[in-house]
Amino acid sequence: MRTTTRAVSVALLAPLLLAACSDAGGGEEEAAAGGGAAESGACEPAGEPVTLTYTSWIPGIEDVVAIWNEANPDIQVEVQTGPNGNGGTYANFFNQLEAGNPPDLGQIEFDALPNFRVQDGLENLAVCEDVAAAGDQFIDWTWSQVGLGEEGAAYAIPQDTGPMAMFYRADLFEQAGIEIPTTWEEYAAAAEQVREAGGYITNFSTGDINQFAGFVWQADGSWFNNNGEAWEVSLTSDASMQVADYWQDLIDRDLVSSLPGWTTEWDNAYNTGQAWTWISAVWGANSIASGAPDTAGQWRVAPAPQWEGVDGGGNWGGSTTAVFKGTENLYEASQFALWLNTSEEALNALIEAANLYPATKEGIELPALSEGVEFYGGQEIYEVFREAGAKVSPDFVWGPTMTQVYNDVSDGFSAAVSGQGTLGEALEAGQESTIAALEAQSIPVAE
Amino acid sequence: MSTTALDAPARTAPSPVNKTKVAHKSAIAVFVAPFGALFALFYLLPIGYAVWQSTRVVEREGTFGPPTEVFGGLAQYRNVLDNEAFWESIGRVLLFGIVQVPVMLGLALVFALLLDSPLVRGRRFFRLAFFAPYAVPGVIAAIMWGFLYSPNLSPFRPLTAEINFLSADLVLWAIANVVTWVYVGYNMLIIYSSLLAIPTEVYEAARLDGASQFRIAWSIKIPLVMPAIILTAIFSIIGTLQLLAEPQVFQSFTSSVTSDFTPNLLVYSTASVPNPSLAAAFSVVLALATFIMSFTFLKVTQRKAFQ
Repeated sequence: MRTTTRAVSVALLAPLLLAACSDAGGGEEEAAAGGGAAESGACEPAGEPVTLTYTSWIPGIEDVVAIWNEANPDIQVEVQTGPNGNGGTYANFFNQLEAGNPPDLGQIEFDALPNFRVQDGLENLAVCEDVAAAGDQFIDWTWSQVGLGEEGAAYAIPQDTGPMAMFYRADLFEQAGIEIPTTWEEYAAAAEQVREAGGYITNFSTGDINQFAGFVWQADGSWFNNNGEAWEVSLTSDASMQVADYWQDLIDRDLVSSLPGWTTEWDNAYNTGQAWTWISAVWGANSIASGAPDTAGQWRVAPAPQWEGVDGGGNWGGSTTAVFKGTENLYEASQFALWLNTSEEALNALIEAANLYPATKEGIELPALSEGVEFYGGQEIYEVFREAGAKVSPDFVWGPTMTQVYNDVSDGFSAAVSGQGTLGEALEAGQESTIAALEAQSIPVAE
Repeated sequence: MSTTALDAPARTAPSPVNKTKVAHKSAIAVFVAPFGALFALFYLLPIGYAVWQSTRVVEREGTFGPPTEVFGGLAQYRNVLDNEAFWESIGRVLLFGIVQVPVMLGLALVFALLLDSPLVRGRRFFRLAFFAPYAVPGVIAAIMWGFLYSPNLSPFRPLTAEINFLSADLVLWAIANVVTWVYVGYNMLIIYSSLLAIPTEVYEAARLDGASQFRIAWSIKIPLVMPAIILTAIFSIIGTLQLLAEPQVFQSFTSSVTSDFTPNLLVYSTASVPNPSLAAAFSVVLALATFIMSFTFLKVTQRKAFQ
């Protein structure tokens, strides 16, 4: 029997040690990142045919890139597709950067750019003349966000944006005789009436912290500021707390549901008329159409409710095309990124493939974005988003650890909707944990 | 093997004895090499890398200064000790284990004894039926149960609309149920095969002494399969501390499963911050905790079980 014991112990020893360690050990090499790469600061054509790699999660991106490859035999682009950023692609990018072999180009959302910059993962594209000259073409706030607070810098090319407006069930509002709210005060009042009619005015999704950030953005707040010396963290700023208190009140009075976002259950709530509005970005138009197909023709879009005294615009999402540190073909990569995000040809293809809402001033005026949309009863919905987009403030700043901020605030929000604490307390906890996370990476924080 | 060793000197002169030893050595090396290489590559190297990574800290200048990794000694381990979320998650899985492991192994033992008793008909059918859930991949099982629990989409809506199994209070036990469902059959099979190995003479003797089936199960079968039960218990303790797939799948059904719900989920979300050094330190501490707990359990139980 003693031998049995020993055999058992030996058999156990190995796998348990591995199992616990494997998560962190997984294939990250600390090899020379950027070794063998072109010196930063040079944007010269290679003078020979090159092949670039590009990772993106836009549906149908292959077809758009095929147009480029057709016209540019000397700059071929290979597309790799993956899950959306926080769904896994960012983790891959970080691992690839650490291993020293990132793709040449990658799709990165605006909110994640500082995170990649702080890990020293991005090339400054403004060293390329064509990029520096293209700044005027982009919607102001997008160009300011890719600059990351640095004069004359561009760490990515803006691709699309997500100005926010209110999707609402016109039929239900009309039946119940409820006015379409234009201010947040009216929205709360309407919420009571909707609840009496048996529905919820909307669903508060505790996982969509970037949507909440959009609300704060609209209220003229900001969560971060980089003063050049240190980061200021302001998750608990007045605007932020005002928004938190507002939603906490709706949650307390059971006027909004709190199903987890992007689940079948959530789709079901929208599809069966349990949720009457959704304050979401322009790309949300597709999400409703695919998640709630039974409600076709019943939805309309109106400007998002406003705070008193603030005529603001919120933004949720939107991507950029960034070039990773270590690329040997900065010039070619920047040429491709510019074409992809500014040329009419590419933008039309992106609109067709993925309903992308461009980040250029001319792009949002394209005919494809002036047509009525059938799912919305033929309403010219992009008109509403154009107006909303024009109000988006260029002063909102993302922090360098947004993945962590989203996780921590989302955990706090989840607790709040199940009755433990409040949204405001979750922001306070998030403020503390964010400062701790910054300090853990030696990122200076202003007191 | 022993016959070769004995035959060899008889057949030939004494000198080849040495040769035989050498031949054995290389044979051993050949057999061990594939395992050794894979073991080094996929076990020792990653573990070593994780330990090394856990001693690193990041330094930088300014708000966007490029990071440089330097040796930081045990700084990350101090962060681990200070990290409330980590210890809360350990507490959570321990609570989970204290309840779930005995329930699961109790069920597995009862099923194994039933299968082994002469009273049960359709033994092959039940053996397969109990084992079938283990053949369902864990992720698929979690998705299936996620829908079964769902307050609005479950086929048992009258029940799930009343009791929200996915709420913050119950979700841990909802996950425990999934894990039990998947692993009862697996553990049952280990115990059952150990029951089959008991010589029938023992039962015969017991019956001659007038023992009932229940008495045989209680006084003979259970003590004799104790080593198997302990083995399954240790596997289960390890499995509990490593919980990842089920809670992660449940994140798409409920917001009650936070990003630091279990230690491994916390490691995962820390690694994607990205803060690989802290994640590595979490992993090392978790591995040590698992190691210590498994061996403590073995030490405590082996005196009773193996003597």
